[in-house]
Order: sequence, then C-alpha cells, then structure tokens
Amino acid sequence: MSAWLQQVIDRGQAMNDWLSPVRMKALEELATTAWPTRRTERWKYTSLSAVEQLELSTTASATHASVERISGLDSLDLVFVDGVLQTDLAMLQLPAGLQIHSLHSAPAVQQVIATSMFSQIKPRHHLFGLVNDALASDIVFIDIENGHAIEPAIRIINQSTADHESHQRVLVRLGNQAKATIIEQAEGEQSSLSTSYSEFDLGDQAQLDHYRFAMQTQQAIAIGGCHFCLHDAAALNSTLIGYGSELSRTDIDIIHNGEHAKAKLNAIYLLAESEHFDLHTTIEHAKPNGTTEENVRGIVGDKANAVFNGRIHIHRDAQKTLAELNNRNLLLSRRGQINTKPELEIYADDVQCAHGATVAEIEEEALYYLRSRGIPRSKALVMLNYGFIQELINQMPNQQLAQWLEPQLRARFKEMEVR
Amino acid sequence: MTEQIHEALSRKYEAGFVSDIESETFMAGLDESVIRRISAMKNEPEWMLEWRLRAYQNWLTMEEPDWAHVQYPKIDYQAISYYSSPKSMKDKPKSLDEVDPELLRVYEKLGIPLYEQEMLAGVAVDVVFDSVSVVTTFREKLKEAGVIFCPISEAIQEYPELVKKYLGTVVPRSDNYFAALNSAVFTDGSFVYIPKGVRCPMELSTYFRINEQNTGQFERTLIIADEGSHVSYLEGCTAPQRDENQLHAAVVELVARDDAQIKYSTVQNWYPGDEDGKGGIYNFVTKRGICHTNAKISWTQVETGSAVTWKYPSCILKGDNSVGEFYSVALTRGRQQADTGTKMIHLGKNTKSTIISKGISAGNSNNTYRGLVHMGPKADGARNFTECDSLLIGDRCGAHTFPYIESRNPTAKVEHEATTSKVGDDQLFLCKQRGLDAEKAVSMIVNGFCKEVFKELPMEFAVEAGKLLEISLEGSVG
Repeated sequence: MSAWLQQVIDRGQAMNDWLSPVRMKALEELATTAWPTRRTERWKYTSLSAVEQLELSTTASATHASVERISGLDSLDLVFVDGVLQTDLAMLQLPAGLQIHSLHSAPAVQQVIATSMFSQIKPRHHLFGLVNDALASDIVFIDIENGHAIEPAIRIINQSTADHESHQRVLVRLGNQAKATIIEQAEGEQSSLSTSYSEFDLGDQAQLDHYRFAMQTQQAIAIGGCHFCLHDAAALNSTLIGYGSELSRTDIDIIHNGEHAKAKLNAIYLLAESEHFDLHTTIEHAKPNGTTEENVRGIVGDKANAVFNGRIHIHRDAQKTLAELNNRNLLLSRRGQINTKPELEIYADDVQCAHGATVAEIEEEALYYLRSRGIPRSKALVMLNYGFIQELINQMPNQQLAQWLEPQLRARFKEMEVR
Repeated sequence: MTEQIHEALSRKYEAGFVSDIESETFMAGLDESVIRRISAMKNEPEWMLEWRLRAYQNWLTMEEPDWAHVQYPKIDYQAISYYSSPKSMKDKPKSLDEVDPELLRVYEKLGIPLYEQEMLAGVAVDVVFDSVSVVTTFREKLKEAGVIFCPISEAIQEYPELVKKYLGTVVPRSDNYFAALNSAVFTDGSFVYIPKGVRCPMELSTYFRINEQNTGQFERTLIIADEGSHVSYLEGCTAPQRDENQLHAAVVELVARDDAQIKYSTVQNWYPGDEDGKGGIYNFVTKRGICHTNAKISWTQVETGSAVTWKYPSCILKGDNSVGEFYSVALTRGRQQADTGTKMIHLGKNTKSTIISKGISAGNSNNTYRGLVHMGPKADGARNFTECDSLLIGDRCGAHTFPYIESRNPTAKVEHEATTSKVGDDQLFLCKQRGLDAEKAVSMIVNGFCKEVFKELPMEFAVEAGKLLEISLEGSVG
C-alpha cells in the first residue's frame, strides 16, 4: 500500500455523517486492495507513482471562484473549489420538478434515495472511486421528478487550486420520462490532486444530455468517472472532452439495466506537451434490445501519451443488442504514444457488435493540398485537426456549448503543435 | 434444434484411443535431478544441461499467468511425469518396415498412412510419438539440398554450434512461465536448418502425438531459414482419449534471416475433453519468430481441439521491410476455452503485418482473440491491418476480442476491425430453399466465413481443416 493510500484510510475513519456506513465499506475494501502497478491490467499504461507519496493540503483554499458564463446558455451553476461547494443552494432559483441538495442540507427522504444510490452505480473496482466514497464531503444530489423536463442546463464546475487535494461527488436521479442537460466541467493547472465521480440513474424513458469537460492540464492530477444506469427506454447522449495533464484518468461506465435503452457516447482527447490522458469506458448490456454507439477520437502531440480502453460487454441474455465502438487516433509526433484497446466480451448470439481502431498521422496529401493554396503549414494543421473532431462536435445536442468550445479547441491545437 | 446440439456435444472424439506400446516413463515430479536425468538419457553435452538448469531456476521464481480469459483447475506440476519414450526406440528402425507395427496402425487409424504420404504427397514426416522421434523419412533427399531436418535431440549432438547459436534467442529461457518450464524439461521436437539461398524441396511435416497417460508433452522446435532461403512447415496434432488433463507446453522458435521466408501451418485437434470439459488437453504454447531484413514469417493455424488453449504465435519484425502474417481459425465447442491471437512487434522501417482471425464458438465454449500490435519509434512507414471476426452458434457460448494497439511512431498506420455475428436465419433460409439441409448449410456458411484463412493453408492441410471443421460442427445447428 502506498503512503498516500494509508493516510486516505486514516482520514476516512474520521468522517462522521449519515453516509458513514457506506464510507466504512469503502475503507474496508481499500485496506485490502493492492496498490496498482504496471502489471495491473486497468493501470497498464498509466503509472501512479506521482500519487504514491503525494502530500497535499486537504483543507480547502479560501480563494473564491470566478466562473465564466457560457454565452447564450441558460444554466444553473454549481461551483466547487477544491471539493467544497461555493454556491449557496438556497439562493438558486429552481424550476418545478428539480431539487438540489448537499450532503448537509438533504432532508430525510432525499437521504434515503441518496443512500440507495450512493456507490451503487459506480462499479467497486475503481480504486479512486472508493477513495472518493470515503472522503467526498460536499456531495450534491440532483433529483428530477417524474415527467419533468428541466429547461436550464445544470452546470457543475470543479476547480482545483495549487497544492490541494480534493474529492468531489455528484449523484443525479432522473425520474421516469424526465429530461435534463448536465454539464460537468473541471479546471485547474497547478499541482493538485482531485477525484471527481458522478453517478446517474436514468428512469424509464428518461433523457439525459451529458457533457464532461475534463480540462485540467499541466501539473494537475485529475482522476474521476461518470457512471450511468439506464432503465427501460432511457436515452443517454454523452460527450466527453479531455485534455491531458501530469496524470488524467477518466472511467466511464454505462449499464443498460432496462430494455430498449439507447446510449450514445462521443469522446475526444487532445494532448499537448508531455501530458498523459487515460480513458477507460465500459458498456454493460445486461438487458436485451439495447443500443450503444461510441465514437472516440484522439489527437496526440509532442511527448504526450494517450491511453484508451473501450470495453463492450454483452451479458448472456442481452439478445438483439446493437453495439458499436469506433476509435480513431492521430499521432502528430515521434515522441508521442498511443495505446488503445477496444474490447468485446460477448455471451449472446443474436447481437450485432463491431469495433474498430486506427492509429495514423495526418495525411500528407491533405496537408499538401491546403499548403498549395497558400495556407501556412501551422494553420493547415489546425484546420485538419479540427476537421478530425468536428464531426463529433457537430453532434453535440447543445450548439451553444459547441460554439463556446470551438475557439478553445482551436487554441488548444496551437498548443499541440509540434515544433 | 436443442436435441441436435445435444447430439453434437455428446459426439465421441474420433481420434480417441490408447495404443499399447511399451514405454519407459519417469516417476511424476520435477526437481533438478529429473532435469539431469532427462539430459543424461539424451546424452546431452554439459552446456545443454546447464541451460536447462538455468531455465528451471528461472521457472521457480515465476508465477503461472492468470490474465487469459480461461479457467481451469490449478495444475500440480509435481503430479506430471516429465519423460516418456517408446521402448522400441532402443533398436532404432532403419526403415518403415522396422517400425513397430502397432505404431503404424495408430497412424492408419488417424488416416495418415506413412507409406502413402511418402509416396504420394512427397512429404517428409518426422513423427513425434510421445517425446522421442521415432522415424524420419526423406532425410537423404533433404540432405542433398543441404537441408537439415531432424529431431532436436539429434541436432544437439550433431550440430551443437547451430543449436547453441539460435536456441532461446527468439523465446528466451525466462520469457514466460510455460516457456521456462519447457526450456527446463523439453524432451524432443524438430530442428530445421535451411542453408543460404536454398528453397526447401518439399514441405516439412511433423505429426505430433500425445500418447502416454499423465505425461506432459514439452516439444521444442527450432527452425532457422538462412539468408534468402524458403521453407514451409506443417504441424498437425491428434491425441487419444483419456481422463486426466494433460499439459502441453511447447515452444517454437523461428529465425528468418535476411530475405528468408518461413511458412508455418498448424492443424490442432487434440482431445477437447468430455461433455463436462473433463480430461481435455491444456495447450499452453509459446510460438515466436524473428524476421530480419526483407524476411517474411507467416503463421497459419486451425485450432479445433484442446480443452484450454493459450497460444499467441508472434512475429518480431526486426529488419526493415520484413513481413509478418497471422491467419487463424479457432473453433470451440462443448466446454472448450481458447485464448489465442498474435503479437506483431514492428521494430524496423516499412514493416508490414496482416492479422486475420476467425473465431467460431458453439455449445458452452468461450473463444477469445487476444493480440498486440506494437509500432516502435523506429518503425517508419510500418503498416498493420487486423480483422477479427467472431461467429456465435447457440446462446450459451461466448466470443471475446482483446486487441492491444501501441503506437510510438506517427508514420506507422494501424487498422483494427472486429465484428460479431451469428449464422443468419436468412442465410440458412436461402440455403435450405435450395435443397440443402441445415447441417450442410451451416457447414457451408462456416467454410465461407473461414475461407480467407483456409486459402493460406497448403493444399493437403486445407482439405483436412475443412473436414475437421465440418465434423466438429455437425449437428450444432438445426
């Protein structure tokens, strides 16, 4: 066990609130979990040596967050700084059918719902998920009642500041036929460690548009995940955009727990300098007639290192499942690395499953074409890179977000340029 | 349909019988003295014994791998006997007439009469009956071409320099658990050396037999194709029926020097175990080849047998412009489990690899493709294309794909595709409409599914492979 994990366990034992029974369970599991090494399949390409001896402040910093509005987007913003909720929930103007509570303010009914959900959707094999179970203090519960479509987007912003360790957690329940848009956005570039996990329960025919922008860069260590449980005919449309950092790891789990559910997952990672980004996705088809469409595209520049593991698991009786995964990568530099593994594990015969993965560089001919028309090389590269991911950006259901992203992504491509 | 599946699953293994040839067998157990005895029995030079002992020391420090998608009871390595040789070896047969008639009958039962093979097919057969090579044909003819094709035990005596130079260079002693075990206790296998610029005048073939009860079979094969040479090697296996699980941990090393080509084809039909998966062979094999400049290694395999298969024939594409190929059909039924695939390690410039893998699962079986494509930092312009297709027959089986892709070079291109499907009702309907019964139709569809791989096999093997598949699939769909 690493020194860091030992002090996590010590600190976890001091937590005392109504989630304590669940936290204790997580601590027990942590105590018996071996610290991952390169021989641990889930961490084969990602070293945790940066975390092993980490000693950071665990009290939140006093700095107040400044949050940029997204123009044209109607949103309810929940701001966390170092895992501490800064937004005064009582001051939020909530539409009918929506409730937002924190761990400290949740009424008894919500506590029951939250306890039944907490760490139930997120699989127990995520080591840092267990750490988060034990230590997340300002947990936020978002509850959308049956049949309500929530108009404003719910935006959760997670900022980490220098030399801090933080653990942030969100639980979301969408009732039957409920509809919502949820954006999770993480920022920070200074030396820090943050774990950020969210669990989503989508009721029958519920619809969720979900965005996760894992945009910590540079020295920030960011580890987290999104975990979705889909009931009958629920529809999930999720978009992930990831930047790399000293160590950035995201785990996404989508469980088809009802029939005729639909999941669409688009993910993009853009890595510059010596950044590291690791994305593990798991789609569990536990019930028949589900559909999954997963598109993952990555561009890796300079000395960066990208890891993708995309697993699709069709359970014994999940007949008539349609599942597709496509992973395409561009490697821009001789010093970069791409490690990808699309996995299929299939136990039902009447299914249609396929996956594909490619790794290549930008077509020299395409570059030549643009340059022959007077476009300088660096600009042509940005154009081609943006073209590579634009298809996925265009598929985002919320185009205000897409517009907000575009200049940021273009600036990102400049950073990724290999000189 | 269920009845037919049941019938197919309960089909008796056609090559299942035990022949009564007296054999000399060691007591079960493994320690240094056993290795010394094996080495002494074979009259090995000191360096060989030392090599074995060092492998044994490596093995002691290693752990049995558990990452494969297979489950089997723990193997007791002390319950295995590490040496068995047919007694009639003592006075070596000079020609087939002198071979134990019982042995010849065994081959007749299997449908591979040696005479016919000798006469008609023009194939030299190095028969491994249990652990000692009993008879080698066509040696003289090969000698004329300068080709060395003999049991590896003999090569250690007669060509020690060649063996010393290449043994363990592709699969090191400590490569993995099973390779280390093999290095310590291997009893025999084949040795092939093709001199510079020589095209081997015939296809070389070894039929493997596992015969003695409770005997681990540890073959060691070493094939060296010197500069500009060419060889095609066939390996086929069947085994008699028995109750105890048998461990088979072979090692195959291929060395293709500049401009050389090696084609290695396998048809594997070892006993897969009974309906409950009891008694089948454990096939834990390490096969690897190294390609120097402009060289080519092509692995083709048809795997229908064994209870548990753990096998990844691989190519290290070290030289510029070298080519690696892997064509595989793996069929599992009953309780069979197969975890098989390949590794293509691209190190040189403009190296190319192609992987075509077809997995067919029926009954309660699990069939896994596991592969690695690695593009090293110096593999400029390297290319890989991978296609993995799975076919499921029945709803109690599993088909899995785990392809690892590692790229360190922007000019390298990797493409991987995988699909899963079942035998379509519409396909069946179309065939039945034209007067084919369901069984024939399925066999035809499956044959079509595997065609890309079969066409890579040498003619005789392609026929055998097609037959094998047909027999294995009979009745599994109604």
